[in-house]
Amino acid sequence: MQKSDYRNMWVYIEHDGKTAAPVGLELCCELRKLCDITGDKLYAVILDDLANGEIDKVKDCGVDGVIYVRGTGYEYFNTDAYANAFTVLSRKYNPSAIFVGGTINGRDFAPRFAVQLNTGCTSDAMELEYDPETGDIQFIEPAVGGKIMAVITVPELRPQVGTIRPGTFKYAPAGRRDEIEEIFEEISFDPDKIRCRHIDFIPDDMDPELDIANADCVVCVGNGLKDSEHLERYRTLAKLLGGKIGCTRPLYDRGILPYKLQIGQSGVMVKTKLYLSFGVSGAVNHTAGVEADVFVAVDKNPDAQIFNYCDYGIVGDMDEVCDEMIEQLRARGA
Amino acid sequence: MLNILVCVKQIPDVDLVKMDPETGNLIRTGVPTLTNPLDLNALEAAVQVKERYGGEITLITMGPPMAEETLRECLAVGGDDAILITGRPFGGADTLSTSYSIVMAADMKGKFDLIFCGKETMDGATGQMASQLAERFDASQISCCFTVDEIADGKVRATRTLETGKEVVEATMPCLITVEKDNFYGRLPNLKAYLDSKTAPITTYTENDIDGLDLRLIGVPGSGTIVPKIYPPELPEPGQIIRTGSPKTDVSRLLELLAEKGSI
Repeated sequence: MQKSDYRNMWVYIEHDGKTAAPVGLELCCELRKLCDITGDKLYAVILDDLANGEIDKVKDCGVDGVIYVRGTGYEYFNTDAYANAFTVLSRKYNPSAIFVGGTINGRDFAPRFAVQLNTGCTSDAMELEYDPETGDIQFIEPAVGGKIMAVITVPELRPQVGTIRPGTFKYAPAGRRDEIEEIFEEISFDPDKIRCRHIDFIPDDMDPELDIANADCVVCVGNGLKDSEHLERYRTLAKLLGGKIGCTRPLYDRGILPYKLQIGQSGVMVKTKLYLSFGVSGAVNHTAGVEADVFVAVDKNPDAQIFNYCDYGIVGDMDEVCDEMIEQLRARGA
Repeated sequence: MLNILVCVKQIPDVDLVKMDPETGNLIRTGVPTLTNPLDLNALEAAVQVKERYGGEITLITMGPPMAEETLRECLAVGGDDAILITGRPFGGADTLSTSYSIVMAADMKGKFDLIFCGKETMDGATGQMASQLAERFDASQISCCFTVDEIADGKVRATRTLETGKEVVEATMPCLITVEKDNFYGRLPNLKAYLDSKTAPITTYTENDIDGLDLRLIGVPGSGTIVPKIYPPELPEPGQIIRTGSPKTDVSRLLELLAEKGSI
């Protein structure tokens, strides 16, 4: 088969039966635009039963069709059955591209079916473009710690497989098409052959301090922080501003703050009114995770990339500026 | 006795890699290298399993001859045996072809019950290798493992970290595990192990040494993806930098501006 014989793009709709994960809907919205350019049809792929109201939400994202897969093996996420379903479906329908939300489980099984299909897999693209000359999707993503943007393509093999992080694309439904093709497939995976099986799930305790995605104000501490002893002042500042503390990846790597506070493409995406960064260099991977009405940056390096993303910047010692802010906010009666 | 494989990678210090503005190529010459930090967490997990259940740890890497440094570093911490896959034809590989090369080389040594990998590397950061290795090893996989709870009767019980909680799973061996670092902070070598690692034998395989290796499936020819272009990120115009002469007045001006905007 020629690669031009592979047509149409698929989006995997991750769900728990009751709710579709937002990333699947975000991907449908973004790929609607891409398919309008490529002339491909856009299909949502739903494994196992999903509540009707949620299927409606998927349809509202402008899909041309929905592929429903039913059978045994899908009750709980498991790599074997989920990867198998996509391999079987892909061999039958030969899609040009398959997109999977870059959740922990999405990243677990998508690269696996890519090997089963012997094709190229990309992760974490932030932009998707189409090259009409080659017919390839250009997956554009930050590389080498965010210093460069890399264009990645799958030049010969099909389907083109991509995992995309939640929050990368906007949920902006294009509206429902007049006709939506509905395909029903029965693909069963023998539950006895699932090699890694679900035993139990223990939900995390909800700690409000760790829930920063929609905080009104976020004080983000970066690798400029000398050590954990210097951290307390930033907590104080966050408190004074009615906000919460977050961090960049190096602080999580250094064991100073937990993963749930890591802001950026591979952590939490935050949407906030006021964002203050201290000692953050401004790698694309981080700034991609920030949507702020007002963005303030403080760093000692005047050339730091973070100043390209801020509304207001102060070049200086992060601790000193933080202490000064605390003092003046207190003087203002904050 | 458990036969354990740990996959490691030597990477350039990404903080020091620069891009040549003229050619658009990455300048790696003279850039210091290190062992991918998450791979050391994977090794620690393997060492903990070995201490509890007994076993032998084989380390494997693919890279230029100097990647031997990474193997020696890991041998000092707890590896028993090490394999280096090296040779020009392996270069430029993506995860599809790297996973093939690693599995073919590992098969030379034998069958493994457990395979440990870091969750991702700091340079490539695709996070795809582990799943692709698991597929090629025909192994079960436990990604984002928080704790290895019990190994018995050919099965691994473990706890995974998901977005909203912990999942307990049970997997049959062979099983590939990627670890969260929280419970697997790396340890320092003891002096004897450190000295021994300097002279420990390392098995080196070139493309000619691996039985049944299909040269069309390694390196660039075996890759599913290519990188036709890299470029510096487009930066927005810088914001307003407040320079009033002192931190005190800078902050005072900033707070005025924020108050005007209604941000505070």
